[in-house]
Amino acid sequence: MLSIKNLNVGIAEKQILKDFNLEIKPGEIHAIMGPNGTGKSTLASTLAGKEDYEVLSGEVTFNGKNLLEMSADERAREGVFLAFQYPVEIPGVSTTNFMKAAVNAKRKHQGLEPMDAKDFLKLMREKMALVEMNKEFTSRSVNEGFSGGEKKRNEIFQMAMLEPTLCLLDETDSGLDIDALRIVANGVNKLRDDKRSFLVITHYQRLLNYIVPDYVHVMYGGKIVKSGGKELALKLEEQGYDWIKEENSELV
Amino acid sequence: MSLAENISKQFAEVSNSNVVELRKNAFTAFEKLGIPSSRHEEWKYTNIKTKLNEQLSLTPVDSQVNAAVKNYIASLPPYSFRIIFLNGVFHPELSIVPDTKGLTVCSLREAFGSHTTLVEKHFGKLINYNEEHFAALNTAFVNDGVFIHVQKNVTVNEPIYVQYFFTASDINAFTQTRSLAIVEEGASIQIAEDFRNASNINVQYNHVSEVFVGKNASIDIVKLQLEVSNAIGIHTLESQVERDGKFSAATVTFSSPNTGTGSAIIRNNVTARLIGENSHADLNGLYFGKENAHIDNHILVDHVAPNCTSNQLYKGVLSGDSTGVFNGKIFVKPDAQKTNAFQSSKALLLSNDASINSKPQLEIFADDVKCSHGAAVGQLDENALFYLRARGITKEEATQILTYAFAHEVIDHIHSKPIRQFLCDKLKDELKVNF
Repeated sequence: MLSIKNLNVGIAEKQILKDFNLEIKPGEIHAIMGPNGTGKSTLASTLAGKEDYEVLSGEVTFNGKNLLEMSADERAREGVFLAFQYPVEIPGVSTTNFMKAAVNAKRKHQGLEPMDAKDFLKLMREKMALVEMNKEFTSRSVNEGFSGGEKKRNEIFQMAMLEPTLCLLDETDSGLDIDALRIVANGVNKLRDDKRSFLVITHYQRLLNYIVPDYVHVMYGGKIVKSGGKELALKLEEQGYDWIKEENSELV
Repeated sequence: MSLAENISKQFAEVSNSNVVELRKNAFTAFEKLGIPSSRHEEWKYTNIKTKLNEQLSLTPVDSQVNAAVKNYIASLPPYSFRIIFLNGVFHPELSIVPDTKGLTVCSLREAFGSHTTLVEKHFGKLINYNEEHFAALNTAFVNDGVFIHVQKNVTVNEPIYVQYFFTASDINAFTQTRSLAIVEEGASIQIAEDFRNASNINVQYNHVSEVFVGKNASIDIVKLQLEVSNAIGIHTLESQVERDGKFSAATVTFSSPNTGTGSAIIRNNVTARLIGENSHADLNGLYFGKENAHIDNHILVDHVAPNCTSNQLYKGVLSGDSTGVFNGKIFVKPDAQKTNAFQSSKALLLSNDASINSKPQLEIFADDVKCSHGAAVGQLDENALFYLRARGITKEEATQILTYAFAHEVIDHIHSKPIRQFLCDKLKDELKVNF
């Protein structure tokens, strides 16, 4: 489903990702861990199509298509979803209107008519229940005045609405207390199926207790330096990243 | 006919001698002032002198109701009150004015006769014809307009919709219209003034409104300038607010695509004078400039009495090679202690050739006041654009949605629900937003 080969990415003249390689198959959950500043968020932003990041070389294939040739919105309509580390506040646009525009953009892409109002509201209600979101959020402006936890729940709610095939979770656990973390993780788990894949970026093993990954990768110096199963995350939790840094001191 | 002949012809039609005297004085003042050039500080960014036709014709010309007028009237929401003018001439057959207790709505011409004392007491009292070029010209030459009087403690819930159409075929016509609204103690009313070019030529007009807000009274005025291409429109709105009174004015300007080679210039002079303690003024504006449109908002809030509050929120969206001007004055007079005045001007520039001249001007002569102002000019927030695009919304649609959100804040401030809804739909149309 997603194949990243020798990807090199820079921002403002500085190279961040260096010969990055990753293969994700349908239904898999991959976790990416690693110390600050190793390129985890750059990877998520690059895959989502943020234009500030410059792809220097390499290939990214998504469901057989060249992802790097698509604009950010095209990628989203094709089924890539980025849950933002810092969701953006959009004053003046209600969550309902925002989602209506997004859902219908995707439907148009699939050659479908816009969803009728009644079906749309039903879908909203159903997906909001998934992340225990209150009905009042739908009429409020997107993320405006939301707490950190509410913003992250809203990301998962949007993910549920848009039914992507590749979900990129960029530090979704940051700024969450334990209850919010549980709600967000439950939402993600309910969206798991054999076709939908996840790339979960996190600093901490804590999130992986709830969203159990198939693979754990450690990033350092712009590339994956170690891969393993979920037990790798436990080792990192116990021993920290120092041993990774020592083993790979030549990378930075 | 010369200007002097013109004015004497009109004097003959007005029976009240005091008003004749006022008009004479205004004309003398205008003769001294003339049409301002861009050397005049208040007209620095709006060069009106070279844009107005030299052979101005101030005689009102009535004309037939054309298809554009009929279609537009048919498209209006079912307002209970509807007052229609064509080229400055009142058309009772197109207007609807239901009898309402405590409320008078009629043409100014009629009011000169039927409410002589009231009109004489208020007409021309808020304008400074010795300094305001176009208010002086308007006072001298005005033909007609609307008169609104709300008696003590009367609340009018339906908006009074006043529509000024321009249909003349005379390229030199410079239509002078005028409205006078008096809202007595404890009364409240909403008024919309809509200006529309329903001809296929360039039109020129000069409108003056005087608004008296009594003690604890409230008035909401919305000025609609929804198709300002091929027009030179000069608007002056002067208000005076007594103790505990509330004055709210919103100016909404849209420029539609220019159909000819003419100028599209709109100048708004809006003044709120807070003369009674604990009174409040809310002045808001939204403007969309396209192509060569030039939209100039000159705002003045004059805090004369203590404990008053005022808010100014102006937002512009400029594309093509359009220009915007914002000049926001706040005067705080020596007695106006505990004033709380706020001003904000924001403009989105959607093209490289669009520009805005923004000038806040605060003159404070009291020492215990809160005044703040902010001006921002820029593009849409890149992070917000990316956020929408990351949900599959195209760049074009994301731009429209964010522009809608930016502009909608001003419309949100309009109290009259039918007018707010009307503008909301207009905004969605304009930005092709379909939610």
